[in-house]
Amino acid sequence: MSKIINWSRRTSPWIIHFNAGGCNGCDIELVAVLTPRFDVERFGILLKGTPRHADVLMVTGPANLQIRDRVRRIYDQMPNPKFVVAIGACAISGGIFRGCYNTLGGMDEIMPVTAYIPGCPPRPDAIIQGVAALIEKLRKGD
Amino acid sequence: MSVLWGILQALIFPGFLFLSVYALFAEWMDRKLFAPMQNRIGPPLIQPLADTIKLFSKETIIPKAVQAGLFTLLPYFSFAAVVTAFLFVPVYGVPAISSFPGDLVIVAYLLTIPTLVLSLAGWSSDSTYSILGGIRALTQLFAYEVPFFLALFTPALLLGTWNISEIAARLPGFLLANPFYFIPVLISFLVGIVALQGKLERKPFDIPDAETEIVAGPFTEYSGRLLAIFRLSIDMEMVCGASLLAALFLGGPQPFISWMPGIISYLLKTLAIIFILAYIKAAVGRIRIDQMIRFGWQILAPLSLVGILMVVLFQKGGLI
Ligand code: SF4
Repeated sequence: MSKIINWSRRTSPWIIHFNAGGCNGCDIELVAVLTPRFDVERFGILLKGTPRHADVLMVTGPANLQIRDRVRRIYDQMPNPKFVVAIGACAISGGIFRGCYNTLGGMDEIMPVTAYIPGCPPRPDAIIQGVAALIEKLRKGD
Repeated sequence: MSVLWGILQALIFPGFLFLSVYALFAEWMDRKLFAPMQNRIGPPLIQPLADTIKLFSKETIIPKAVQAGLFTLLPYFSFAAVVTAFLFVPVYGVPAISSFPGDLVIVAYLLTIPTLVLSLAGWSSDSTYSILGGIRALTQLFAYEVPFFLALFTPALLLGTWNISEIAARLPGFLLANPFYFIPVLISFLVGIVALQGKLERKPFDIPDAETEIVAGPFTEYSGRLLAIFRLSIDMEMVCGASLLAALFLGGPQPFISWMPGIISYLLKTLAIIFILAYIKAAVGRIRIDQMIRFGWQILAPLSLVGILMVVLFQKGGLI
């Protein structure tokens, strides 16, 4: 039974996209992933508008004082089990915003992050690979 | 023995289990047909099943602000209504598992319940997006429901019976004998398909759950098991609506009345209707709610009235 559930989680990761204040470069690449050219519906990935439906929170941009409570609230609104993927240098460590008076650093300052996708911005192929890595992690763990 | 047989029929084939499997298959079919029209590949066959299992295994959040009882009961209501409606639609032969004179009216009303449930779900969710979605669902109901009913009642008027199984059995023969009646039946069939698209809240009528405007409409606060049941009941509504149209206008399992060929002919007809629905979804964009109401009352309703009028005039004119 747990094998079937694990399989279903791997096969249908629904994502929600949140921009925590990056430059929008990563967001455009993430949206490109969903377009016909890359077509991630092949892997069962669907973009959802509400955190209640989503399994994976795709977050771009640095953790800063302004966004801290908001992104935490979105994370809390997602039903368990939930995962966070940090996209781009900003979300990993603060990127070019690191050291600013309002920047806390990477997204893992706010919530647990399962996968990191480096790049500024990462190519859509890299984002797909990152999600594949998350799926791989799900297969091994749990 | 016959009681046991009846229960088996209602639960397994062609009742609940068959409907669930076929609904999941129909969702895949819909998404898969939709994908190539957008130059994509589309999801694998097993995808809807994986989505459903995943949602069932997830945490179900009931927000603090909602009325918990209503909030949890509503998905089951819509589910039960659709499953009950399906029992009256002939699948492998006529009559259907359950059939009595006048069941067409019951099925028409049972298929309205999911929309009412949606609007109630929107209201009870206590979120701005949900309430807006609920209001839109209810407003839209007035635009497509009347044409849908009128379209369903055309073949009933034609044959003078309100029994779905009897219409399915007699309509093809009647049309071959009186080819004039092809015109009103065709008009009503087209109106029925467009109105069904509105009933299922698919493009261009996906105004209640327009994801670019109001997130997910009435579903915004639903998660986990409750969302899975909602999704399943909407897939089932699609299958049920397609089967109803197939039974009323295309003769259901006709020309075969035995088991296997009847099922195959039924599947082919419903899949053809689902193909048309997917094609409409791919070909058009979303319209605004006022455009939807205008479309419903200025084009759909007059067209369905023309269908009924033609039937009445033909019958009075002695063409029968
Ligand atoms: S990682 Fe680079 S591209 Fe992405 S949001 Fe930050 S600065 Fe922009």
